[in-house]
Amino acid sequence: MVLKVFFPTCCVSAVSGLLVGRWVPEQSSAVVLAVLHFPFIPIQVKQLLAQVRQASQVGVAVLGTWCHCRQEPEESLGRFLEALGAVFPHEPWLRLCRERGGAFWSCEVTRRQAPTAPGAPGEDQVMLIFYDQRQVLLSQLHPPTVLPDRQAGATTASTGGLAAVFDTVARSEVLFRSDRFDEGPVRLSHWQSEGVEASILAELAKRASGPVCLLLASLLSLVSAVSACRVFKLWPLSFLGSKLSTCEQLRHRLEHLTLIFSTQKAENPAQLMRKADTVASVLLDVALGLMLLSWLHGRSRIGHLADALVPVADHVAEELQHLLQWLMGAPAGLKMNRALDQVLGRFFLYHIHLWISYIHLMSPFVEHILWHVGLSACLGLTVALSLLSDIIALLTFHIYCFYVYGARLYCLKIHGLSSLWRLFRGKKWNVLRQRVDSCSYDLDQLFIGTLLFTILLFLLPTTALYYLVFTLLRLLVVTVQGLIHLLVDLINSLPLYSLGLRLCRPYRLAAGVKFRVLQHEAGRPLRLLMQINPLPYSRVVHTYRLPSCGCHPKHSWGALCRKLFFGELIYPWRQRGDKQD
Amino acid sequence: MCAQPVTNTKEVKWQKVLYERQPFPDNYVDRRFLEELRKNIHARKYQYWAVVFESSVVIQQLCSVCVFVVIWWYMDEGLLAPHWLFGTGLASSLIGYVLFDLIDGGEGRKKSGQTRWADLKSALVFITFTYGFSPVLKTLTESVSTDTIYAMSVFMLLGHLIFFDYGANAAIVSSTLSLNMAIFASVCLASRLPRSLHAFIMVTFAIQIFALWPMLQKKLKACTPRSYVGVTLLFAFSALGGLLSISAVGAILFALLLMSISCLCPFYLIRLQLFKENIHGPWDEAEIKEDLSRFLS
Repeated sequence: MVLKVFFPTCCVSAVSGLLVGRWVPEQSSAVVLAVLHFPFIPIQVKQLLAQVRQASQVGVAVLGTWCHCRQEPEESLGRFLEALGAVFPHEPWLRLCRERGGAFWSCEVTRRQAPTAPGAPGEDQVMLIFYDQRQVLLSQLHPPTVLPDRQAGATTASTGGLAAVFDTVARSEVLFRSDRFDEGPVRLSHWQSEGVEASILAELAKRASGPVCLLLASLLSLVSAVSACRVFKLWPLSFLGSKLSTCEQLRHRLEHLTLIFSTQKAENPAQLMRKADTVASVLLDVALGLMLLSWLHGRSRIGHLADALVPVADHVAEELQHLLQWLMGAPAGLKMNRALDQVLGRFFLYHIHLWISYIHLMSPFVEHILWHVGLSACLGLTVALSLLSDIIALLTFHIYCFYVYGARLYCLKIHGLSSLWRLFRGKKWNVLRQRVDSCSYDLDQLFIGTLLFTILLFLLPTTALYYLVFTLLRLLVVTVQGLIHLLVDLINSLPLYSLGLRLCRPYRLAAGVKFRVLQHEAGRPLRLLMQINPLPYSRVVHTYRLPSCGCHPKHSWGALCRKLFFGELIYPWRQRGDKQD
Repeated sequence: MCAQPVTNTKEVKWQKVLYERQPFPDNYVDRRFLEELRKNIHARKYQYWAVVFESSVVIQQLCSVCVFVVIWWYMDEGLLAPHWLFGTGLASSLIGYVLFDLIDGGEGRKKSGQTRWADLKSALVFITFTYGFSPVLKTLTESVSTDTIYAMSVFMLLGHLIFFDYGANAAIVSSTLSLNMAIFASVCLASRLPRSLHAFIMVTFAIQIFALWPMLQKKLKACTPRSYVGVTLLFAFSALGGLLSISAVGAILFALLLMSISCLCPFYLIRLQLFKENIHGPWDEAEIKEDLSRFLS
């Protein structure tokens, strides 16, 4: 049976005393937390341990003795240490010794009941594992999500043991409160014994954060109450609110701010990390937004932009007109139905004409609108980007209209053709059984069906071409909007704080541990150094990714192609029905 | 060693059962096996003239397609005035309609429950839709090449002939598909005609010849076989005459085709019956004799 002793590296040079720690019987390992120095009064030690036990819910006890001999060991000290075992009864009782400048270590384990058990092995093997107490205290262990198939049971057992060690160290923070300059009945040696880590700024921020959070939380609740007002629930406003990505983004940010300034304390480390990530994300967002604002409002760039915008819109409309005229001819030598072609072309040309007059009506106000939109960048880059996406959607409204007309017409044709093709073969779609059945039609039904089938079949290429061209245009717009949404989502969901933590303090996010052999000699305990394996970046991002606002399409490519083929409408935002699942 | 059990079991009689252990190899059969051999159980004796009579359905359909193409050609060339065709078609339809009821004395109408009002409604639907769509039909295939249209029509008419219900009980037969293909071909051909009135009349004529005429034929064949033979001969000669006015070679080929279908093919069928050798026996796979359709419906 191997007995593991976890020993903090900071206690290596401590003077002799008692080992204070926790015994984990399942793993047969002893986690040493601190060394208690002589002289002490046993009653006071027991009182202190009881206090710690109550505060941390960890079974802290005196595990054994620690003997650090700078010279030759004295006989009397050895006997005294042996006698201590009677004062602090513990099973098993450890006697850890460091001799002659740290070159030799020895560890004896005494069990009172051990000789009585007949089948028990005579001598316990002891494995001495050193750990950095500060790192283990601060780090957060992430158990592996995917276990390898083989040795799965062994892995879970070892992770469980490791988790117990990490948990013990993290929970007995009470023990590390006092340093050696404190006046106290008992003197301990641990990682903070040279002085408690603290910062004045952090303390001040902690004191100030309470009232500030309270104030801001009340302000935010006011804002949310206004936004939940009944006026916004009326039909046109609620519809617009659900379709404009700016509104979605604002709502998302409002949720973030409510989370940050909520006066409740974070319950677990994961929530704390999420809060910190949100703060980092909002700060970065606002910083980028302010940079954009300063860039935009310097050197009258808004004016230039406004002057450029109207000609660009005009140019787009002109290009569309050319495209339509090309379609009304014989595009690419395709055989189109001339009459239908002319009708569709004229209809779309009229639409573009309407659009151009609308743009010209708007042109005097564009600069003011842009100026005010630029101001919104101080709310964050994401809000500005969402506004940009909405403006693109509004400016390409004609393309959207064309696309919808083309798609509706095409959809009608495709569905008509598919059902008439069934009629052509003398079949019909049975709704009840969800299959194609044969059916006997009347003569007039057959005649009219075939007539319509012929007409639709010969008109299909014309409609399909218009649909194809406008769908390509629409896809271009959707792609641009999708890229903007992707950027917004990236800023929204990137766990910046966790990534920074991983970069600067790799031990804070632990994936596991590795052991380095310090000394391996026969007759001496095996000495290992435990080092923390940092979490890989991909897992950091995966674990701490913030939930995005979810206004991007969730179609697979196959579903998208299917939708395109059958002429169903595609949108950059998600459908309401999809949102629930 | 192996001979020993065989000699022992000489007197054991072989049984054609699997449920008893017998001292024979698995593939053993005795001499009685071929006693159950039967030949040509389902072969039928055909009468030559009966087969010729039955083949007249094919003749009729071939002639219908021929007449339709000939009429279309006349219209396309401008040799046939659309009004004249419309008048003739209307008159023959009316005659056919009266005949349809007269032949069986109105029994078929009573059985199917079809009222005259429904007939009138159907006729109105045909006329209205065809007339309404005829301008669309006229411009429908303007940009499509004429050769494409001809090829499509030929395929559709061939399909019409293949899938037509000649009275055979086969899976390929689909009268709906056949009629639809004929209508599709007629719409394609009609769209090549010079004016929309031509297209309208062409499609109407297609309905008459492909939908209404076979219905009358079926009734004629069932009730008065003699007159049916006469009508078939008349129809075939008129189709030949029409084709002759366009192309003599075509007419000769068509006549040869008709002759071979109506005379040569039945003769050949009866000759080939002699070589028929179907064997039946206990090795046949199981056959369900009973009609199961009453369970399925």
